[in-house]
Amino acid sequence: MAELALVLIAGAKFGAIYALAALGLVVVHKATKTVNFAHGAFAMLGAFSSYLVVVHWQWPYWMAYVLTPPLIGVVAALIEFLILRPLRRADMFTVVIATVFLGIALSEAFRLTYNTELLAVPGMFVGMPFVFHGVFMTQETLWVIAGALVICVACVLLFRYGRLGRGMRAMASNVRGAQLCGYSVDRVYMFAWFLGGAMAGLAGVFVAPVSGVSVELSIAIISAGFVAGVIGGFDSLKGAILGGLLLGVSESLAAAYVSSALKNCISFLLLFVVLMWRPEGLFPETVARRV
Amino acid sequence: MSEPRRLLAGLAPALVVLGATLAGLPLDNYPKYVIAIAIVSIVVGASLVVLVGLARCITLAAGSVMAIGAYTSSLLAIHLGVPYLIGLAAALLTGAIAGWLIALPGTRFRGHNLAMVTLVFQSVCIILIREAKTLTGGAEGIHVPAPSLFGWTVRSDGDFLLLIGVLSALAVLVLTVLVRGAFGKNLQAAAGNEVAAEAFGISVPAYLTAAFVISSVGVAFAGALAAPRVRILDPESYGVMASIFMLAYPIVGGMHSIWGGLLGGGGLRVLPEFLRPVADYQELFFASLVIVVVMFFPGGFVELIRRGVLALRGHPAGPREAPQPAVAGAQAAAAVTPLPAPDGAAPLLVVEGVDRHFGALHAVNAAHLTVPVGGIHGLIGPNGAGKTSLFNIVSGFLAADAGRVAFDGTSLLELAPRDRIRLGITRTFQHVAVFGQLSCLDNVIIGRGRNGVLAAIGQSVDEMRSGPLTARARGEALAALDAVGLADLAGMPAGALSLGNQRRLEIARAIVSDPRLILLDEPVSGVAEAEIEELRALLLRINAERRIAMLVVEHNIPFVARLCRSLSVMGAGAIVAEGTPADVIAMPAVRQLYFGEDVAA
Amino acid sequence: MRRGPLHRIALALAAAALASTVAPSAMAQEAGVSDTEITIGAIGALTGPIAFIGTPGRDGMTLAIDEINAKGGVCGRKLKLNFEHASTPAESLAAVKKLVEQDKVFALVLASGSTGAAAAADYVRQVGVPTYNLYGSTPIIREPFSKNVFHGAIVPVEVAAPGLIGLFYDDGHKPQKIGVLAGTYAFPQATLKAVEAHLKSKKIDYALEQFDQSARDFTSQLVSFGRQKVDSVLILGSFSEAGFAIKQARELGMANIRWVLDGSAVSRAIVPIIGNADGIRGYFNNPAFPGQNDTVREFEARLKKQLGSMPQGRPNNYDMIAYGSTYVIADAITGTGCQLTRDKFLASWSSLKNAGPKTMGGLDVSFPESFTETDHQGNYRLGAAVVKNGEWQVYRVIERP
Repeated sequence: MAELALVLIAGAKFGAIYALAALGLVVVHKATKTVNFAHGAFAMLGAFSSYLVVVHWQWPYWMAYVLTPPLIGVVAALIEFLILRPLRRADMFTVVIATVFLGIALSEAFRLTYNTELLAVPGMFVGMPFVFHGVFMTQETLWVIAGALVICVACVLLFRYGRLGRGMRAMASNVRGAQLCGYSVDRVYMFAWFLGGAMAGLAGVFVAPVSGVSVELSIAIISAGFVAGVIGGFDSLKGAILGGLLLGVSESLAAAYVSSALKNCISFLLLFVVLMWRPEGLFPETVARRV
Repeated sequence: MSEPRRLLAGLAPALVVLGATLAGLPLDNYPKYVIAIAIVSIVVGASLVVLVGLARCITLAAGSVMAIGAYTSSLLAIHLGVPYLIGLAAALLTGAIAGWLIALPGTRFRGHNLAMVTLVFQSVCIILIREAKTLTGGAEGIHVPAPSLFGWTVRSDGDFLLLIGVLSALAVLVLTVLVRGAFGKNLQAAAGNEVAAEAFGISVPAYLTAAFVISSVGVAFAGALAAPRVRILDPESYGVMASIFMLAYPIVGGMHSIWGGLLGGGGLRVLPEFLRPVADYQELFFASLVIVVVMFFPGGFVELIRRGVLALRGHPAGPREAPQPAVAGAQAAAAVTPLPAPDGAAPLLVVEGVDRHFGALHAVNAAHLTVPVGGIHGLIGPNGAGKTSLFNIVSGFLAADAGRVAFDGTSLLELAPRDRIRLGITRTFQHVAVFGQLSCLDNVIIGRGRNGVLAAIGQSVDEMRSGPLTARARGEALAALDAVGLADLAGMPAGALSLGNQRRLEIARAIVSDPRLILLDEPVSGVAEAEIEELRALLLRINAERRIAMLVVEHNIPFVARLCRSLSVMGAGAIVAEGTPADVIAMPAVRQLYFGEDVAA
Repeated sequence: MRRGPLHRIALALAAAALASTVAPSAMAQEAGVSDTEITIGAIGALTGPIAFIGTPGRDGMTLAIDEINAKGGVCGRKLKLNFEHASTPAESLAAVKKLVEQDKVFALVLASGSTGAAAAADYVRQVGVPTYNLYGSTPIIREPFSKNVFHGAIVPVEVAAPGLIGLFYDDGHKPQKIGVLAGTYAFPQATLKAVEAHLKSKKIDYALEQFDQSARDFTSQLVSFGRQKVDSVLILGSFSEAGFAIKQARELGMANIRWVLDGSAVSRAIVPIIGNADGIRGYFNNPAFPGQNDTVREFEARLKKQLGSMPQGRPNNYDMIAYGSTYVIADAITGTGCQLTRDKFLASWSSLKNAGPKTMGGLDVSFPESFTETDHQGNYRLGAAVVKNGEWQVYRVIERP
């Protein structure tokens, strides 16, 4: 039993990070109907920013959580302005390709400037772990699971009740209509990217002590975030959170009880099954009306 | 284009590959090797033009497909001693199977979901190769023996270049025939406008599957060609990053022409050799290059070169529509009036008791109408009356809950939209749905409706050698274009036409197959006032000369009244009135429904 | 008189012909050798997941060559390094062909342990250029034996495997059950094969779990080890993978485990990941870890001066191997008596004894290397290393079994 609990805790830890990553992807998709394949690179930059604050400048840890989201958000908004805005009239195909290669360009730029395999970042809490019937849980793990999920829920509430959240939802359902209601497309799109970038940055700060900062982080985050988003239903915020947790836990369980060498296959299998049998996701926000 | 020129244009890409091979033979071993590897990338690029460029499907599985080809031929040689050429043939087969497997889910998705589905294939494939250690050598790689064919063991760089060059030229020739021919055009049509493509007999799933299969066969062939050249096969060489950079080949080169594959594949493979002094930066450079191309030169380098050449020759940058040619007899036709309805004409299209619900909404309620042979029947009604639903049920894009729709005695309800053209039913679209990338002539040729995948491949071969099928298709299409007054614009891309001319083009496309019924969905919506009368005259003339019956849905009441011989009026899902235009419009019930006039007044 | 271009070309040709008759010695010179320079080619990955091997390869070689040239070079000639980026077999072959056939290098260095190095080695056996395999431990790079291919500080996997397992028994430790945690990619898989063969031949009980490249979650593997009562774990992978595996094991409450790492994971950069890393063992391919004594401290200072700033985790194993191996090449060149032909060079290399930086006044950071006509493995020794007070140090030398 203790063993199963350990596996579940580890799954929840990565699942919470996946959820946060997926949430940012879904926010951008909900408002702009584009999937940002550079999202993983934003998370990597967030983790790097955490390294700078905590290790390089030796500032207090909480500053990484405060400074990183707006910083990465601004980077994302800038990229929206420079690259995505000129492509707004292009089809989905073009946008996907642009963001795929944007992600590579950002990762490479990071690698070139900080020529190293991995930057290690310490955890925020280093105290003794909690022990309960042979189940160990470090303060760090507890913080990642609880902190990431609290932030996820806060984002959902912001989106549901904030003015810009309403604007984004309006924009997603009907661009013309939203414009008539006084929402500016440019401003809403830019804000969506800002919010998506900020959440990627936060995911980066959470993941930095768990994975370190490396180029591989960007691929790990985007693929997990995307799969989590698809599982949840790509337009559903609560779906992204549940999808992330489900992905983390099932990866962990499969690796523990099926085969560790095939761990990466599990997420792909899950993605495939959901896309084929329930393309609207397991937790869709609204029931799509087939007309 | 004259026949010898068309043949030359079709052969040119393969000749360029052969030329590069010959030019490389006298060089040192290093350039020989680089040219051989670049030629392999050319085959990859050309194959991806089919899938990425024409079908606009994003694939992140090219690396794994290449691995499948490479491992198929090599493992057969290593474990079973299978001769090289047979190994190559086997790679074609496994490539086709891989393409078909990817297409199973692949044809259902677009954009980011397709990217992820192909990524699933890619990753699972590489994991399987890695884990099948006894067979594949696993992650450490496996040594590929030198190929030998007909007693000739290929070892030196020159021999390899010759072998790869000749076989690649053949592959490029096949791909050129397909891309330039009817297959490529139909594929572009399927990717450009699925609804219109289906209406003219192009099965979109079949074409996308064919695109996946053909492009995978090409990529697997390239992998098998290169395998002995690189001496060691390992799964990592064919990983996700390889797939992503292969995806860049057609994008950077140019997506709509075989030359894009050549330029992108060959160019991007050779470029790192020139970037050696700044090798650290090459990935960043490639990624940035793709972003710049996508943002500023969506046609890739091929388009850039084409524009450059045109500018040098002093032509304007893009194709523009020439001043509107005078349509023969357009003015005179204004006087044409509808023929009286032929008495006792047999019914051609019969709609009876058709029902359709959307949730609680009863969109179509026991609707009925009849179009006689050679007649022109109008269907009018206010917004939300159910016209479009009924029209879509007749054209096959919407299923009916109940009722009967029969065409000359054949029930239509069970038929897919693409099967209607065989019976003699074609249509036009409310939002013009011409295939913008293709020329007017090619648009109309698609309208002939002989668009099965295999037929199109046969047609492509025929086009290459300017065979009789091609001559006939062009002849019929030109005649149809002439009938609508667009013969002078036959070579113009359809996307460059004015809206009025695009509507004419749709009519030409609808009549070229000599149908018995055309379904016209708001044929003058958005058309300038002056052109409406010309279109009306055109339709009447077509009806008179070719005896084609028409069912017209339209909001423009004066236009309908002057075009049709009979009208049905819909209100709240049901047919509320029918008769001749004059009678119907005079009916109080219709005036009340339509113009909001009080019946009592 | 106006001279046309043809005329000028004819004159140039005549001059060249004349020059070749009056200076026959210049014509007889071997590829890659001029009166002032000897060109050495090298390939390695400068980008991608194995750049942590290729980049130090380039930097270590450059440092050694700069030192040698500062002292006047070898045989009155300066050494020149042409380092080309290459990772996959296709890239590696292109790079090696360029170096051999276009740049006409005198010697070739494979600063990459990848499958690309295997393809390159396959090619150089065919063309006969003297080649030094710096980092490849796998049989696919090393076999079959060829008179022009030499191997340096990195020992073959069959030698490394018993050395690694031996580390479990140091200081009186008696492992009950060994857990082997191996990456699924090329590097660790090659070592794994030899390790499994050794464990089976010694009838040692072990459990195997694997992970994908750049994995960060090892919970399931570790839980499986816990279930099987594993008390000693061997990790075959990079320092980042090993670091996160050990960190997670502690978080799962797995205490008192003896950790042994493959040489590729023995790096300073593992310490900040784990925090307290004391007691972790692994082998190192050089006699002392950076920081352990004055010689290696001086090496670190020189490398830092050359690079400007020291990237995290450097200098590593690969910096030191590349540096030492470059001196071995210089020794082999000197041993020809400055008759710079390929045959003399190969003969000299095959008879080197105790070659290394020391003979030419370099920093003695690597094991001395010796070769014979039939054995081209220069070094068979390994340094057994352990983390003490947050610093790696070599505590004994593992001799050839």
